[in-house]
Amino acid sequence: MSLELTDLSKSFKEDKVLDGVSLHVPEGKTLVLFGPSGAGKTVLLRLIAGVIEPDNGQIKISGVDVDGVEPEDRNIGMAFQNFALFPHMDAHANIAAPLTAQRQDKSAIQSGVQTLAKLLKIDHVLGHKPKELSNGQKQRTALARALAGKPKILLLDDPLRNVDAKLRFEMRLELPRLLSDQNATVIYVTQDYKEAMAFGDEIAVINDGIVQQIGIPEQIYLTPANVDIARLFGDPVINFLDVRLQKDAAGVFALISAKRVDLDASYSHAVGKDCTLGIRPESVLFVSQDHESAVPVTVEAETPLNEKTVNLCLTARGREIMASRPSGTDGPENGPAFVTIEAANALIFDKETGALIEPYKTTAKGKVA
Amino acid sequence: MSDVMLDLDAVDKFYGRIDEGVHAVRRVSMKVMRGEIIALLGSSGCGKTSTLRMVAGFEAVSRGKISIGGREIHTLPPVQRNVAMAFEGYSLYPTVTVRDNIAFALKSSAHSAADVAAKVEEIAAMLEISAILDKYPSSISGGQQQRASLARALIRDADLYLLDEPMGQLEPQLRTLLRGRIKAYIKERGLTAILVTHDQTEANALADRIAVMEDGELQQFASPEDIKKSPANLFTGTFVGEPPMNVFPARATISDTTVSFQLRGDVELSYAADAFSSALRARLIQMGEVVLGVRPYAVQRRETGSPATVVANQWLGDQSHIAATFAGGSLVLVEHHRTQLVEDQKIAVHLEPSDIHIFYPETGMAISHGARLVG
Repeated sequence: MSLELTDLSKSFKEDKVLDGVSLHVPEGKTLVLFGPSGAGKTVLLRLIAGVIEPDNGQIKISGVDVDGVEPEDRNIGMAFQNFALFPHMDAHANIAAPLTAQRQDKSAIQSGVQTLAKLLKIDHVLGHKPKELSNGQKQRTALARALAGKPKILLLDDPLRNVDAKLRFEMRLELPRLLSDQNATVIYVTQDYKEAMAFGDEIAVINDGIVQQIGIPEQIYLTPANVDIARLFGDPVINFLDVRLQKDAAGVFALISAKRVDLDASYSHAVGKDCTLGIRPESVLFVSQDHESAVPVTVEAETPLNEKTVNLCLTARGREIMASRPSGTDGPENGPAFVTIEAANALIFDKETGALIEPYKTTAKGKVA
Repeated sequence: MSDVMLDLDAVDKFYGRIDEGVHAVRRVSMKVMRGEIIALLGSSGCGKTSTLRMVAGFEAVSRGKISIGGREIHTLPPVQRNVAMAFEGYSLYPTVTVRDNIAFALKSSAHSAADVAAKVEEIAAMLEISAILDKYPSSISGGQQQRASLARALIRDADLYLLDEPMGQLEPQLRTLLRGRIKAYIKERGLTAILVTHDQTEANALADRIAVMEDGELQQFASPEDIKKSPANLFTGTFVGEPPMNVFPARATISDTTVSFQLRGDVELSYAADAFSSALRARLIQMGEVVLGVRPYAVQRRETGSPATVVANQWLGDQSHIAATFAGGSLVLVEHHRTQLVEDQKIAVHLEPSDIHIFYPETGMAISHGARLVG
């Protein structure tokens, strides 16, 4: 079943939470809704579920408008942040509930519950009542219940939020496969960009009730539509440096600490403009010697970050630049050093609006039909 | 040892009666040096917060001693311990502005008004709360309150700074930004700080040494690099590291020329004997059954090697996380570039002796790291 949202708006009193949201999720695909808290993600899920009604716009499931259709008749599975478990039933009975409702036989129910519980690492607490479960376990029980009935449409609201790093990683590997095996059409809400990239066939970045960008994960990471989105994807955070694009006989360039960063000629339309240059830490490289593009910095600190090592550097004017490299590779000592910026991976944003300035040659933009 | 700032000596915490109640902290001993940043890391219920609360004086010590700067303090009330604290629920004064909340921490000491004002501006800028300095605590968000509380603790003059999940309420991007700045702030001033966190990324980024706790016990107390390179046991090895360390049960067979490990699923890893120290080989001969651990970034894909089958390949922008079935279990690889591997694809993997950790199967204690016997 596909899901199509057209021009959805919703206000609570004066507060416009969603403003003209249109999204399309093809059958069997997962769309990740990504954005900061308060962006309107959860409200959107509740509209689709039918728990609240839109002020404006249309929701179609498999091409049929569901306006007026009761939540229980929409064939949607949900795991919401505060989606209460049945308090009088243990975890097993909670997960089994959709299967019992479908009148499946006992052995099918038993194996269905066991498989999901094992996958979500809650098989040891199946006999516990909700009040005896930790928050993370409650969340996973709700997730298992949502998955158990194999609904054609699944709405998952940050289901791994309270889960520790190790388990979160395992889930990140296993859940997308399960969802695609079930051929479910999924909307998955998260604030974790790694989860967004791992789960999403497409990612919709939503902020202040507006969809700011839709695209495949790679597109969002490589060509974020604005500085806010660039900042939300990547760890450590992307570096931003204020620059003015210039041009001479040798081409388009920007100066950082009076050192030249050569940019693609296709940026010539932005020459003279005040810009923000965005460069990811993995594209800041240490070089051993001074040369015309080597920016002098002071290395302030070195910190390990998962499978990477990160150096915090300061330019002569005290601007922070983070550089990262794979663990186990050689890096600089604290103190004076030189870095170069991989210009091919630089992003140029309009300083005033924050919007990405695309090089002229680029063709298709982020929007997907 | 004159430069020990904090000394925990065989500290126990029981909730309820001693030896009968819940044993939350079990004979924890550690020495924190002046100017060090320490992270207490573990999952919920591991005893890390109880430990911090005993240092702060919010919990009584059941057994053992705590000294700060050589002075035994575990029987003193919190105000006499000269520690600065940012605790969850250790709230701001609601009737004064954020600026005054932060400044108040300095007023009683010998600073001029101009000096205090400048210091408040500086720390507010660092923590990105300059814009809310003149607001009242009730009108700012939870994340802003947390940063105000952190500012109030860090601005003080104290022997020891105790920070309980200081960035727990903040969004991931802000947390990343502030980590580096907070570390630089603490280091520039030579402060001694203890941080409680369940977030290993934060612990790795901020701390000089990490105290890994589980079940009330100190599992390992070492630098992030040492914990990564030389995990004391299987718990530390698999808890710290994202993605987690790969582990495989194996049977070691040692001959004069080779060291080989039989894994499940008919996988055999075979190496020249001299790749392993003679002391380790002698130990392995006695052992037979062991557990092998290999970090995801150390798993190498090669033309020839042990067979594995790709289950998933996730590209995260700057690295690929590849999951595969291997030796009757699962294996995770990290590569720092985009790979085109797809589900069901056969690959060959190689594990270098220098990247292999070996553990005792019963106790989980480490036998060797990088083909060298521990200790």
